[in-house]
Parts: sequence; C-alpha cells; structure tokens
Amino acid sequence: MLGLPEEFTPEFIARLDQLRIKTRREFAGLGKGTHLSPRRGSSLEFSDFRHYSEGDDFRYIDWGLYGRTDKLYIKLFKEEEDLLTYIFIDASASMGYPERDRKFGVAVATALALAYIALASGDRVMIRVLAGRGHPPPPAFVVGRHRIVDLARSLTAIAPGGEVDLAPALAREMVAIRRAGKVFLISDFLMMPNSATRGLGLFTAANMDVTAVQILGGAELDGQGLAGDVEVVDAESGERVRVSIGQRERDQYRDTLLRLAREIKTFCFRNGLHYTLHTTDRGFHDFFVRAATDLGLVH
Amino acid sequence: MGFNLLGLLEPGALAFFAIVPALILAYLARERPRQATVSSVLAFRALHVMRGQRFGGRPRFPWTFFLELLVLCLAVLAMARPYFLRRGNPVAVVLDNSAAMQALTPAGSSRMAGAIAAVDDALEHTAGAGEVTLYLTAPEPHPVGGAMAGGGAARAAIDRTIAIDAPNDPAATAALLAQLNADGHLGRIIFASYRAVATPVPPRVTPMVIGDPIANYAIGAFALSRETFGAAALHARITLANFSPATQTLRVTVSGDGKPIGSAQAIVAAGAATTVEFPNLPPANIYRAVLDPADGFMLDNVAYATGSAVRAVAVLFISPTPADGQSLGAIPGLSVTTRTPAAYTPRDLANADLAIFEYTAPKELPALNALIVMPPPGDPVFNFAVTGAPRVAIAGWPTTARLTDGVNFRLLNLRAGEYFAEHPWMQPVVTGDGGGLLLIGQRAGHRYVATGFNPFPYLGRGNLPMSILTLNMLGDLAGFGARSTGYHTGEPWIVPAGIKAITLPSGRRVTVAPGMLFSAATAQGVYRLVGAAGVATPRAVNLADLTVSDLQNAPPISIAAAVAEPGTAAASIVRAPLAADLLIVIILLIVAESIVVYRRRRMLVAQ
Repeated sequence: MLGLPEEFTPEFIARLDQLRIKTRREFAGLGKGTHLSPRRGSSLEFSDFRHYSEGDDFRYIDWGLYGRTDKLYIKLFKEEEDLLTYIFIDASASMGYPERDRKFGVAVATALALAYIALASGDRVMIRVLAGRGHPPPPAFVVGRHRIVDLARSLTAIAPGGEVDLAPALAREMVAIRRAGKVFLISDFLMMPNSATRGLGLFTAANMDVTAVQILGGAELDGQGLAGDVEVVDAESGERVRVSIGQRERDQYRDTLLRLAREIKTFCFRNGLHYTLHTTDRGFHDFFVRAATDLGLVH
Repeated sequence: MGFNLLGLLEPGALAFFAIVPALILAYLARERPRQATVSSVLAFRALHVMRGQRFGGRPRFPWTFFLELLVLCLAVLAMARPYFLRRGNPVAVVLDNSAAMQALTPAGSSRMAGAIAAVDDALEHTAGAGEVTLYLTAPEPHPVGGAMAGGGAARAAIDRTIAIDAPNDPAATAALLAQLNADGHLGRIIFASYRAVATPVPPRVTPMVIGDPIANYAIGAFALSRETFGAAALHARITLANFSPATQTLRVTVSGDGKPIGSAQAIVAAGAATTVEFPNLPPANIYRAVLDPADGFMLDNVAYATGSAVRAVAVLFISPTPADGQSLGAIPGLSVTTRTPAAYTPRDLANADLAIFEYTAPKELPALNALIVMPPPGDPVFNFAVTGAPRVAIAGWPTTARLTDGVNFRLLNLRAGEYFAEHPWMQPVVTGDGGGLLLIGQRAGHRYVATGFNPFPYLGRGNLPMSILTLNMLGDLAGFGARSTGYHTGEPWIVPAGIKAITLPSGRRVTVAPGMLFSAATAQGVYRLVGAAGVATPRAVNLADLTVSDLQNAPPISIAAAVAEPGTAAASIVRAPLAADLLIVIILLIVAESIVVYRRRRMLVAQ
C-alpha cells in the first residue's frame, strides 16, 4: 500500500494514530508542536514568575500574589514545540542474515512505524541509514504525515551490506545533528558490547533521549540450519570460525546471544535509555503494541 | 557356462591399496566442514572447536566415510583389472575372400554370397557362441578387427565382406587354420571356401565348401613387347585356357584406348592352354583384352596391358666423361641426359627417373634410385672404401637374384676396376677375389647400386653379358618395365622413382613415396602412377593366375600340423573382465552419495 511495508495494514495504522512519542526530557523544537519545550511560551503549563516590566501584558499579572506581596509579578508559561526525532537504522551486512528472518525488513518497518507516529503528531523526523547498499534518505527533517510514503520508498530500496562499527559511525552522524531530540537506534547489536555502548553513550552525552531497538532473527537465535561440522563466515568481517554444532552447542550459542543482548539492556537501564528486543519469529503488530512503553510511546 | 576362478591381469596395481591408510589419516586430520554465512561469528567464538580438531577428540566416521572408502577400494581393484574364468565357446570364422569366390554357382549367385549365407546360418545355430573373430584369406590371411561379442555383430561384419580380385595363398591359409586349431580357447573354427579341407579334418574345424565346379575360360597372361628397336608397334601375346570338359573356340578382342584394334580366335582343347599373338598392335596407352564366350567367372575374361610398360625412362648420367652415357641412347625406351659432376643441379635430379654417377659420387644422398660406377674412395655420402686393381675377377654371384638374372658371368671379361670393402648398409651381390664388385642397398626409401667395374659404354650385342647386367641394373632401379610377367593382383610392388600418388582402378587416390612397398593392388585394372609434375603413368594389374582360373581342380587345404593336436574343445576357457562392472558400481555409489548429501543439505537449509 503506497509502497509501505506489508506490516502497514489499515488497522495497524489506526493503532499508530493513537500513539505518540514521549520524551524523558524537554527539547527545544523548530516550530509549534505538542511537546513541552524548555522555552517560555504560551501553553497552559506554568513555568515561573518574574517581576512585571513596563510593556508586559496585564493578562499575565498574578493578582493573587500582588494582593499578598503588594508587588506585581508576571506568570510565565512553557512553550509547546515540535519534537526533533532521529531514527538510525543499522543496514550493515549482518542485518541481512539469516535471510529467512528478514531482520532488515522488520527494522525498516519499525523505523517507518516510529516515523509515522512522529509525523502524525506534527513532529519532525530525520532517518539515517548506517552502511547498506542503495540511496539513503537525505539528512534533512521531514514534516507531515504524507511524507511517510517518501521515507518508505527510500528505505525499501536499501539492501543490507557493508560493515559498521557503531561508535565511529554514530560519532560521524552526531556532527550533522545540531539539535538534541529523540533518538531511535534500530540494530541487531551483534557486535562487541563496548562498541554498542560507546555508540549509545555518545547520544546520552549529547543530552539525547535514546531508545535502543534490538532486532534478532528467530532462526538466528535458535541456530537453525547449522549442524555438524560447519565453518561459519562472518557476513561483515569475513572472519571464519570452525565449529561442530550439536544440540548442546546450539544451546550454548543461544545463551551467548541472549547474554550479549542483556549486556546492552543493562547498559540502557543504567543510563536512562529505553530498550526493547524484538525477535522476528514473533508478530510485528503484537510487538509494537506490547513494547510501546519500552519504545517510549504513549497512548 | 559356469564361474570358475578369479584372477587379476595387473596385480601390481594392488599396491595402490597402500594409499588407503594415508587417505584415512588425511580424512581424519582434516574433515571438510560445510560453509555457512552468519550475521556474526561473535557467539560462535565461545563454542568449542571442532571435535575432530580437538586433541584426543573422538574421530568422526560418518557413513559417507565408509562409502568413499569402499569406492576407493573398488577403484584400486578395478585398476588391477580383475577377471573371472569361465567356460566359453569362442568361434573363429575364416572366410575365403579370394578372387575365385567371385565365380558364379549354377544357382546364379556368387560363391561369396553362398559362403556368407552358410556362415551366417552356422553362427545362428552354434549353441553358446561367445566371441566371434573373423579372418579373411586374401591377399594374405588377416583378422578383421578384434573379437566381436555376440553373433549379431559378427554377422554384420561378415555380411559386409566382399571378394577381392586377388588370389590367396593356400599354404598361408592352411597355416592360419593350423594356428587357430592349436588355440585351445577356440570352441569352433568355421572355414568357408571353394577349397575343401583335406582329411582328416580336425574335430573343431567345420569346413564349408561353397560352389560346385563350373566351366571357365580364362586369359592367363597379356604381355606386350617391342620386337624391333625404334618400332612404334607392339607385339602382344595372350594366353588362353579352357577349363571346361569340352573343346571350345575362344575369341579374344583387343582394344586400345577404348577402340577395337584386333581380334583373334583359337580352338582350345579341354583343360589345355594356348597363345594368340597380335604382332602389330598400334600404339596406345591402355590395352584391354576381352575373352568370349562369357562364363561364370568374369574376372579372368578381361586383362589389361599398358604401352607405358615400354615407355622412355629418363636417365641422368653424371660423369667426367659424359660420352660414356651417350651409348645408353641405344637402349630403346631410355632418354639420357648427361652432365659433368660440377654442372648437375638438383633440378636435373628431380627431372630424372634414375641417376648414374660414373667415376664420381653424389654430393648428398640422391632422392631417387641411383647407380654409382667406380666411385672415388672416401666420399662423404656413401663413404665407400675401395681398393683399385689393374684387373678384377669375379669370384661369386647369386644365380637367382634379379640383378644377375640371365647374366653369364663366366663370359664377363672385366679389366681395371676396384674392390669394395665391407659397407655399413650396402650388401655385396657380386664379389671378386679382393672384395665386393657390385653392392646394393636401400636408404630413405630409395635403392642404390654401386659397381667396382665400369659397364659403360653400353655396347649392346658387342658385350652381351655386360649388356644384360646393365639392363638388369637399370630396370631394377627404374622400377618400370622391369618385370616381364606384368603385375598381379595381391602382389605388392615397389613404388617407382618420382611417383607421388597412385590412383586405383576404383578412382581412389593413394599418396605414396618412391621406394615404398605398395600393397593395395588387390583389384584388377589399370592403376595410374602420378609423378611430381602431375603426369600419370598407367600400370596394368591382372589376376593372370591360371591356377585360380581352374575352378574345377582346386586342391584341398591340408591342416596337417593341427591333426596331431588333442581335442581341446571341451576345455576352451575365456576370460570375462570385471573392470567395467566395477566402474559401474563406483559410479552408482558416487551418484547415490551425491543424492543423499544434497537432500540432507536441502533439509538443513529448510529448517
């Protein structure tokens, strides 16, 4: 439908319309919106008092306070602005394996769903693709619900490929991001844990509100298709490891993958980041509803 | 038929079994893992290394290992070429394909057709006939291909056989039958011929006498000669024979180059032969004689002769005294070119049929037949070692050699000359007290004759013994016209000097080299000998064998040597090779393994 992934059924879009992005801190936006901004403005949310100065609008004088203190004070309110939403998708070669898991397809669907929520709320969205083959969307904000089609067209034309070291790649992206905002990072995080945590730490250092979305394949997690003597080849680095795989080794492998995921999750919780894990063998729609809170979404 | 004993033709190949343990070790040392691309090897690094690579690890022997081990063992066994012995009943078919088999029987079909039908019928009714080997008897006994499995292939080969125009050698055929009879492997020998087998016939030999005797009239010989030196007309003598039970008037018609030029008839008594003569045949290239009345064997009712049998032979005479060569011009049919040793060129040699070097030796080995007269000692080409003598005397000569035929050496009066010492590749034919006086040898396909005396100048009747010797030498070296009896089918002849190709009567062209033995003259007719310049010289080849034409009196063949052999038919054993069967098993095993492994991988991928 309009080039959107197959997961975007009318029912799913209706559900997305009911969601909005919640941030843990206030960010200055670029225009009027629905998110409280640290700037003073004209919302109903009280912010502070200050002494009356000549020329101030009489309507904001707190007459109660004047009665108690015999001094004129002006009531200040917070501004409501749009939210700058950054979505990063890992399109390295590892996202393409195993092919039957469609990890990259699920990552794109997740990114588009988040972008749709933001655009439907009047927020600005910038999607950045790390590695991959194809033409990524330009590094500019898009506004308006209708732009989801453009984003979908760009992202579905990208194929996973290449190698990504998360920390340096995100450091390069940070140079282009001038303003703080909400960050979604979608990846399989199949890398050395310190590489992932250093990358995520860059965002926290920049005062961003970060949600890490880890996507693993169901077959990948179970080690399906691997049995007997196998020489496994790393899709990104080409590194080769020879192993004999039986049921015991398969369990051991699964435990190792889940342990790596737990390390990412622990880091996120300790540093005030949202984190959620999705395995592709589970339903995408259920995941989005069930993990809405973990994703930093509210109804 | 039954299984008896296994054996190996190449038992040494079993040494390759020594590589089996080495391959097992290699198999264990390096198992071949399957390759699979994964998103990350991060979680695999923590796994144990392959069990096969672990020190003291349990070796893995999957079923494919044992299967491949079996394939390897079978391959080594196949290399040893195993066989088992079994009782068999191989058959040898000796089919007479000589010219006499062309004769028609009273039934109207040829003897050959009757022989083929009889052999086919015999093979069809031979119980348990295994391999069949076909032998033909003409021009020499020889096998056709190898042993043929099954009667069908053999019958097809036999049906393709045709009778040629050449006779066969009864003695050689008898020797072949004796040899086959002595071969214990053969269960039966079928001999189909117009000749019977003399009794006692060996038990395994089944003779099949094909064709009742029929009346036959034949041309025995068709000879041309020049009665007078320098005369253009030729004299023809034609021998006629009557092999019928009654006196018969035989009429012979001669045509030259297709035009009738003469006819004569003679009354010939039963079983007798006579000669008719044509004293003044006008010149023609090809003469053809046809005999009437027709009979059941048409091959000997026609004969050919060629005028070129008396054609001019180009002689290059190289001598410091060229005048000696001029005397050769007195010999009819010779054209002589004289050159001094310093003046002759390779072109002169190329244009000559033969060369004569007098008192000199060639600068290099001549590419044509050559006569070397009193060569100087120590020439670099022939390296003759000669001893001069003021008077040489002949001490020995062979009485039957073609060079000395008809020469009365006692009347040969030689004066100064030289004796040859032993030569590395030329043999003495005529010897004197001090060494060889006439040497003959062959090199690079050409014949060379060296004399220690000088037969020149040619004096003709003035020195008859020397003239005959000279004509013998020149005729032998020229290759043309040296045989007075003409050329017969099935007899090989030496390709004359300067001939590059021969066109057979069938029109097929055969490339030849001068000096080589030409053995493809199995058809009666005119062969065209093509020289370097494209000039073709016809040569007539005839059956001209009245013993073949005498169809009523064909002596039986005696297999005397085989009669004493004990009957070994019951013990005929054949080897049945097993290598092909083993190869089929190997291929089936490999295919089965490939299918199973492929399906297993498909299942793994589908999981």
